[in-house]
Amino acid sequence: MNIEVAEEREGGALILLPVGRLDSANARAFESIVMEHIGNDERRLIFDFGRLSFISSSGMRVLLIAAKRLSANEGTIALCNMQDHIEEVFRVSGFDQIIPIRDSRQAALELA
Amino acid sequence: MPDLHVSLPAKLTEVRNLSAAVERFGDANALPQPTVFIINLALDELITNAIMHGTFDAPDPKIDIHLEIEQNIVTLIMEDNGSPFDPTGMDADDVDTTSSLEDRAVGGLGLHLVRTFAHDLNYEFVDGRNRLTVHHHFKPESE
Repeated sequence: MNIEVAEEREGGALILLPVGRLDSANARAFESIVMEHIGNDERRLIFDFGRLSFISSSGMRVLLIAAKRLSANEGTIALCNMQDHIEEVFRVSGFDQIIPIRDSRQAALELA
Repeated sequence: MPDLHVSLPAKLTEVRNLSAAVERFGDANALPQPTVFIINLALDELITNAIMHGTFDAPDPKIDIHLEIEQNIVTLIMEDNGSPFDPTGMDADDVDTTSSLEDRAVGGLGLHLVRTFAHDLNYEFVDGRNRLTVHHHFKPESE
C-alpha cells in the first residue's frame, strides 16, 4: 500500500511530510522513499509530522534505520510538528533520546 | 453500546479497513480520541506480530477482532487460526529503549508499546485458536 509523502526543500535540508497514517500497511513503501533519498546522498533530512495522524512501530522502524544510516554517513535527521499522542509513542519507545524532536520546523532546521 | 466484531483475512493491508471501523466504533461510543488511537495502535502491533511471527497453516488464515466497552474499560479480543503462538512469552525486559543510536535494536518495539499503554495483555490458546485479550481503562470525556 502506498503512502503520500510531500517533499519540500528549505535551507539545504530535505523536508519529508508523510500524510495520514504510517502503519504496517504502508511502512515498506515509506522505507523505499526514505532510503532512495538517502541513497541519493541526501545528508540533511527533516520529517515534518504535521500531516501525520497515526504511527505504529512499523513506521518508527523506518525512522530508526534512516537515523542509523544518516549518522553513519555524517548526516543529520530531525523530527518536528508531532501531535501529542505520536510524541508520547516516541517517548515511551526511548526514540526521543536518539532522534532529535522539535516543536517547530524552524527549530528542527537549526539542528539538521 | 453495540460491540464491534470484525473478521478479516490475515494480511497486513487489512489493518486499514479495521482502523476505519474502530474510528466509527469510537465515535458511536464517545470514546476519547487518545483511547481510539491506543486501540488502533494495539491492533496494528498485534496483527503485525501474528502475521510476521506466527504460523498460519490453515487454508483460510483469519483474524477475528472483538471490541466491547463496559464501565470505562475497553476490552479488545483478537483471535486467529494460526498455530499456537504466545507473543506475551517474549521477555518485556529484552526490549531495547535505552541504548545509543548505533546499538539500538530495530525490532521488538511493537509489543512494548501494547504493554505500555494497556492495563493488561493476556494470551490463551482456546478451541484451537490463539486468543489475546487487552484491557484499556479510560476516562470518559466530560459532557
